[in-house]
Amino acid sequence: MPGIEVPKEKWSGKVREVTLGATAAEGGTRARTVTVGGETTLPFLKFEGEIPHPPAIAIEVRDQPPSDWPALLLQAWDGATQDVAEWAKAAEAAGADLVALRFNASEQLSAPYARQVLRRVLSATGLPLVVFGPGQADWDNEVLVAVAEEGKGERLVLGVCEEKNYRTIVAAALAHGHLVDARAPMDVNLSKQLNILIHDMGLPVERIIMDPTTGALGYGIEYGYSVMERLRIAALQGDSMTQLPMLVTPGEEAWRTKEARAAEGVPAAWGDYVKRAINWEVLTASTLIHSGADIVVLRHPESLRRVRAMINALIG
Amino acid sequence: MPTGTLIVEAVRQAGLDLNIPCGGQGRCGRCAVLVDNRQAVRSRSELRLSQEDRAAGYVLACQTVLEGDVTVTIPPQERIERRLVTDRIATKVTLPFVYDPKQHQPMQLMALTLDPPSMDDQTDDWSRLKRAMALQHGISELTIDLPTLRKLGTTLREANWMVTAVVELDTWDRPQGPPRLVDVVPGHATNHLWGAAVDVGTTTVSLYLVDLLSGEIAAQAAEYNAQIKRGEDVISRIIYASRNGNLQEMQALVVDTINQILERACGRAGIRPSEVYKMTVAGNSTMIHLLLGLPANSIRLEPFITTINQPPPVQAAELGIAIHPQAHVDCLPGVASYVGADIPAGILGSQMCESKTVALFLDIGTNGEMVLGDCDWLVSCACSAGPAFEGAGVRDGMRATVGAIEEVWINSQTYEPTYRVIPDPKLEAQGQPTPPRGICGSGLISLLAEMFITGVIDKAGNLNFDMGSPRIRRGEHGPEYVVAWGSETAHGRDIAITKVDIDNLIRAKAAIYAGFTVMARSVGTDLSTVERVLVGGSFGQYINVEKAIQIGLLPDLPWEKFHFLGNTALKGALLALLHREFRHHLTTIAQKMTYLELSADNSFYEAFTSALFLPHTDLAHFPSVAEVLAARRNNPISRSVQGGS
Amino acid sequence: MALTGLQIYKLLPASSTNPEVKAHANCKECGYPTCLAFAMKLAAKQADLSLCPYVEEESKRQLEESAAPPIRLITVAGSAKKLEVGNELVLHRHEKTFYHPPGLFVRVKDTQPDAAQVAKAVADYTVDYVGMSLSLDGVAVEAAGGDFGATVAAVKAACPFPLILMATDPATAEAGLKAAQGTTPLLWAASAENWQAMAQLAAQYKVPLAVLGPNGDLNALADLAEQVKNAGVEDLVLDPGTRDHASSLAAFTQLRRLALRKNERKVGYPLIAFAGDDITLAAQHIAKYAGFIVLDQFDPAMAYPLIVLRANLFTDPQKPIQVLPGVYEINHPGPSDPLMITTNFSITYFSVANEVESSGLPGWLLVADAEGMSVLTAWAAGKFDAERIAKTVKSTGIEQKINHKRLIIPGHVAVLLGEIEEELPGWEINVGPREAVDLPNYLKTRWG
Repeated sequence: MPGIEVPKEKWSGKVREVTLGATAAEGGTRARTVTVGGETTLPFLKFEGEIPHPPAIAIEVRDQPPSDWPALLLQAWDGATQDVAEWAKAAEAAGADLVALRFNASEQLSAPYARQVLRRVLSATGLPLVVFGPGQADWDNEVLVAVAEEGKGERLVLGVCEEKNYRTIVAAALAHGHLVDARAPMDVNLSKQLNILIHDMGLPVERIIMDPTTGALGYGIEYGYSVMERLRIAALQGDSMTQLPMLVTPGEEAWRTKEARAAEGVPAAWGDYVKRAINWEVLTASTLIHSGADIVVLRHPESLRRVRAMINALIG
Repeated sequence: MPTGTLIVEAVRQAGLDLNIPCGGQGRCGRCAVLVDNRQAVRSRSELRLSQEDRAAGYVLACQTVLEGDVTVTIPPQERIERRLVTDRIATKVTLPFVYDPKQHQPMQLMALTLDPPSMDDQTDDWSRLKRAMALQHGISELTIDLPTLRKLGTTLREANWMVTAVVELDTWDRPQGPPRLVDVVPGHATNHLWGAAVDVGTTTVSLYLVDLLSGEIAAQAAEYNAQIKRGEDVISRIIYASRNGNLQEMQALVVDTINQILERACGRAGIRPSEVYKMTVAGNSTMIHLLLGLPANSIRLEPFITTINQPPPVQAAELGIAIHPQAHVDCLPGVASYVGADIPAGILGSQMCESKTVALFLDIGTNGEMVLGDCDWLVSCACSAGPAFEGAGVRDGMRATVGAIEEVWINSQTYEPTYRVIPDPKLEAQGQPTPPRGICGSGLISLLAEMFITGVIDKAGNLNFDMGSPRIRRGEHGPEYVVAWGSETAHGRDIAITKVDIDNLIRAKAAIYAGFTVMARSVGTDLSTVERVLVGGSFGQYINVEKAIQIGLLPDLPWEKFHFLGNTALKGALLALLHREFRHHLTTIAQKMTYLELSADNSFYEAFTSALFLPHTDLAHFPSVAEVLAARRNNPISRSVQGGS
Repeated sequence: MALTGLQIYKLLPASSTNPEVKAHANCKECGYPTCLAFAMKLAAKQADLSLCPYVEEESKRQLEESAAPPIRLITVAGSAKKLEVGNELVLHRHEKTFYHPPGLFVRVKDTQPDAAQVAKAVADYTVDYVGMSLSLDGVAVEAAGGDFGATVAAVKAACPFPLILMATDPATAEAGLKAAQGTTPLLWAASAENWQAMAQLAAQYKVPLAVLGPNGDLNALADLAEQVKNAGVEDLVLDPGTRDHASSLAAFTQLRRLALRKNERKVGYPLIAFAGDDITLAAQHIAKYAGFIVLDQFDPAMAYPLIVLRANLFTDPQKPIQVLPGVYEINHPGPSDPLMITTNFSITYFSVANEVESSGLPGWLLVADAEGMSVLTAWAAGKFDAERIAKTVKSTGIEQKINHKRLIIPGHVAVLLGEIEEELPGWEINVGPREAVDLPNYLKTRWG
């Protein structure tokens, strides 16, 4: 009886390798750098291609303890959330690969304030940083331009860079040696279009990470899942403007849901609150990693531990 | 001059002025000059020159360097204009048959001489006429309508029993007759028999006034559909019409438009509208429903059903159309809710279903309709493009009439535009330029392409404020690019294209591109199998293929595959007006065509978003545009011109 | 291999060279306007070939061959619930859809005194998700040295769901099969050692049989499956024997590809996975190709997220999920809190609800029945017009819950303002923002 041949896809494309952070030798101050991307096959299919770098996990820290996070999440950091530098240290201690610093949309947020916060985080941790603005285009521009100047040479990821404000963010990244997080709203074409616009401004593709946006488990994750899967397949098929590592924020999405927030007043069938809430973040992240995420931004240290365990199990 | 000098430079150094609208990229062809010694020059590009031009010794001054002694003649600007104008393929209605009115035309004029009645012959007037008809023309059966009967006696007597009968031998739904007496006119007036072919577009209504005896078009006219003030696309019109009493208003508005252009055409031919005895009407299903006063709401709602796809002929008086009241208005057959009579008419006009090679037919209007197939099979679909390509829904848009900017070039160094206006013949005769009033569809396409190629806008259509041009500014309606300053225009106001206009245009082109790509994919073929692209639509004839490809409206196929047919719906209506076999053929085409409902197809939205980019998200589908973009990035000639200025 | 619409059209009467058949070209008897329209429906698997009585024999053969499912449909059944898996056509859900969600089973051992209680808990477990009542699918009973027959009988009595009988010793397996009579369990498993006896049992008791290969060796698995098939058992389920993340992903992916891409009939069966108590492994198998997933424990905090993940990934990408129309309360609203309306497309609803919820502002959200379309699409299709909005306001009883008459409509349908005011006399209609993300700010600044 003739044997079965293991079916291997002959992918022609490869995801670009992108390095976050810069050490002193490279013009920055990071203790180490993190490289993602480089895959020549779908997630973890090592029988047919290369997976040179495991997906990286970033932990989100805020300049101020956020008022809209559930207590479970704040308690998990054991008081470190009171001070952004402590929080960043705790994230590093918990095993994060990256620190995702996000600025709250608060009254004290200004360019000088952002510079000061960035300096404190840079000196508190040796991990490469992703920096998110408060999420309003004009304000993001103001904050991120200051951050880009202040962190010159650090190869920060500046986010989010969207179609409405990409010119300003890209110009800042170009001028100060940073990367951008190119976010488009859960659509293959819009992601690709934004990458093209950014690249047309002269930012090398090796300095773009794409952020296709996602929904949480139960709240539209299937859209994010398929968009990422399609982007990755397009990349492997040779479409150069999709050959970028992908960053998503399952932590933010999962901890917005009622399942992760409500300890009481929910059906008994939802089960134990703490287990369920963490499962929500873990499954949101693990599913997106299976669809091609290269960087996931998480919030809970236990989620970090379990997602890391899964990645290790898959990388082998 | 040293060897290697560009002719533009040489001309400048000689103190003369030579216009280079595109900024010296060899894109516009407006700097063509005559050289007497081709051996003494070397040309980088001759893309814009025709075979004849080259043979005549034309070269592009911005693309040609001197390598020896040569005399350069700068032709007068008008000559360049004319040379460029002839690039456009003009609509010339050539009939695919030799017209024989006796054979083909169901409308006939029959001269009758009746025996006057007497005490001996007390036959009634109608029987008397029928008797003469049988004897003199061999027509035994004849019907008449009451209004015609009412005036019969008077006419016969006033004309002293010498009359001409206007007879309709048959209609498509009564192919065996019996013949109908439509009118009796005094005397033997058999020189002309008038008919009209009409295309009721969502945005533009056009009409041919035709002599049914010769088949000649005596006059034509077009006007915006007056319904436009009640909504720019079919959906808004349907929504408006479905409210109380509004259907009558919508019916009246389109009838007014038809009557207005009918009157204008008749005026040009020196006749009265009531002398027109037959009208064929092509239009999308919504337009036909509203014209007939039929409720159109079910067209909009799932599962998208019309009241009727093949309406019977109705008498003009019932609709209020100002041709002869008893004349038939024949609304041509449609396929489905969003593929109306204009499409079978267009296919008929294009003769696409006679051919063995796969062709793609595009009717680019407010409602973009398209057909793919060959003699064996035909699929069609429709998508809403909006009225931008007809110059409506765009702030400074206008129809392609006198004063419309119809082509634009932008200098890639200065971002200054040069434009061509559809001239006013009177001003032209006096050697005066015609000041612009607005931009028509072809002008908008050309403008969008130029803005994109020169980087005035990015691939998503955002204006680039880093250019430092005063023409890129924030206006009342957001970011805009000024095409003509108030000092140059007919009305003294700036003519500009806004970001909103740009978005509308990109949406319109994306809808059309998505439509035909999804259609091809859903039958399991792709555009590479297409041998001919037939472009119809009221403005189809004016589209510059190159620009339309650059913005991603048309697929990037070799130019020779494109054929511009002009208003094919109108042409189809004309064929149906003249030839009963063609009228019959229309019904067959309509029945054979497989309609695809794109709203049922998820991949449409997908294809649409990927086309919402210049020229397309997937640049690999547009290799010729990729080449132009690459050339822009590193154009040595551009640099040298920049350095010299 | 699947044919395209145009390829099928060439096999239908309109393309026939036989004049008698050609006479039926575009006859419409199938209910479609043209042969091409019918061909496209056939290609999309939305119509049945039997609708056309005029197809020639040779064409019919070709069409039927191309339509045979590459992965066999397997049915298991309990006394009151059945489960179908298989018949999948794609590797990635966006290519078309995943058709049959994998069954989620909880494993009990015959040495476990509370096996029946666990089985009952599995059977009783239901959870509501966007208006759908979802549940687990069955219980896997494992022979571990106890009384297998008695445990199966007790589990069957406690749980009307399908069972998986896990026993590799044929005599034990038969005891379980006897106890399970009247239902159709999946028998696990035939291996290189016992396949003849297991195949005989499966044939005798007419149950589907799982074939267990040596860890990850697909050749051995395929050969074994073929031997079992040749022994007369057609309903098979494959277990490649992998139990960890990495080797399972490789094996399951390769088996699915072999069946779909290589049309390899020997492995054209659904797959079974054992996830232990690892939720990420179970989740991996939902996304990557299992037909049956066996968990080692019943825990609602684990079951609920897995069931939701399965519902999400097995949603037809062409038909998005809808939420139930009605009134939704966000952050415990009071009578004077704002009232908003949106459509029942799930993503639309979730983006509105989540924005308001995470802003902490209380509010009432009315969800209109717009047939699962987003605001703009629904408006264009006439599914979200003044009439439907007014109907939603009137029919949901919201007027009894609030003490004001102000309604915020999505900015995208600002044109409906006048008409809604006509339909809802006495109401003040406010035009809200176009995007959900701007709602919190709108509520803060404009409501009050």
